Amino acid sequence: MMEPIPQNPHNDDAPLREELVAYLDGELDVKQSRKVEERAAIDPQARRILEEFDRTWHLLDELETPPASDDFTRTTLEMVALAAGDDAAKIKAETPRRRWRARSWTLAGVAAACAAGFFLVASLVPDPNAQLLQDLPILENYDQYREIDSIDFLRTLNDHNLFTKDADDGR
Amino acid sequence: MTVSESSARRYALDPDVRLMLEVRDGSATAFEELVVRYQVRLVRVLEHLVGRREWAEDLAQEVFLRVYRSRQQYVPGAKFITWLFTIANNVAINALRDRSRRPETTLTGSESGPLGIRPMDRLAQATSSAMPARQIDKAELRDIVRMAMDSLSERQRMAVLLNKFEGMSYADIAHAMELSTQAVKSLLSRARENLRQMLEPYFEDGSLPLANKELSDSAVHSGGFSAASET
Repeated sequence: MMEPIPQNPHNDDAPLREELVAYLDGELDVKQSRKVEERAAIDPQARRILEEFDRTWHLLDELETPPASDDFTRTTLEMVALAAGDDAAKIKAETPRRRWRARSWTLAGVAAACAAGFFLVASLVPDPNAQLLQDLPILENYDQYREIDSIDFLRTLNDHNLFTKDADDGR
Repeated sequence: MTVSESSARRYALDPDVRLMLEVRDGSATAFEELVVRYQVRLVRVLEHLVGRREWAEDLAQEVFLRVYRSRQQYVPGAKFITWLFTIANNVAINALRDRSRRPETTLTGSESGPLGIRPMDRLAQATSSAMPARQIDKAELRDIVRMAMDSLSERQRMAVLLNKFEGMSYADIAHAMELSTQAVKSLLSRARENLRQMLEPYFEDGSLPLANKELSDSAVHSGGFSAASET
């Protein structure tokens, strides 16, 4: 047997009252509804509270519901039309600025892509001048080197410091 | 909020959602139709919530304006009425919050109830000490009911209005008020209990409800409600 409902709503009977109210609002499933009905059948206090909830709820029908003002629809539509006009004007005013911003971004993007492409290509493709620069000392003395057939002989001369700057100057 | 295609298809069966989709596609006629359909209901709920007719109409217009402005982002994720009252709830909460920051100096404390001049004060002047024996007339009963509604917190009042006058389910109210369904269940239970305490004595023997009666919603303001909303 369930406990009788205490009078004080601050007590821990809140879950039960929630069930009673939910029952009246048609929010309970069949099983829960049957449980509330069984409770109301055996507990006069629960039944009384159910009746009072129901009765006081129906009293709210007394609240007035006068119609909206006669010109409510017209003024609402006018206000919305005005706001829509303002929005459209704002969008229109924003458009050139937005277009200019978009173009700037596009140009900046293209420039960045070109720069990135240039550096990428430069890093991947070998520079033909680099080899020439590296061989420049040989090319400058090419005629002299041609007169000497043996590389070992050149190395020997090098070992004797004959290719230093002083030696070139004849000192 | 993302809305799945299946739920969008489901709610597209709601004729008002279909109207709103037409508004999204640029139909002014559909928007006018929605205004005509919902203005009375919207103004009624807002009036009971904020207490003044003119203010309620201003807020209702603000709600319709927001509906119009959000038309291009509109995706049916709920019944139209639920979506409409979600906006109305936010507009009303903001308006009441602004009002509480800037209290109106033209009204005295006893006149500044959410539903205008407190029926209690009017009744106190009009009724005699032989109250229980007299006949309750219609206007007086209305005043008593308004006073009982006045005694509820704003959230309780909103939940009651949506449930009673809009016939919304707990789930729809929860959606509109951005609460859990369990929180709405608790909220409505406390609201109904408060109304019962306020109205039942008068209903039984014509005695006036206590003017400054402490209602069980004190739990709402002291954190009980927030606990409920977390469920």
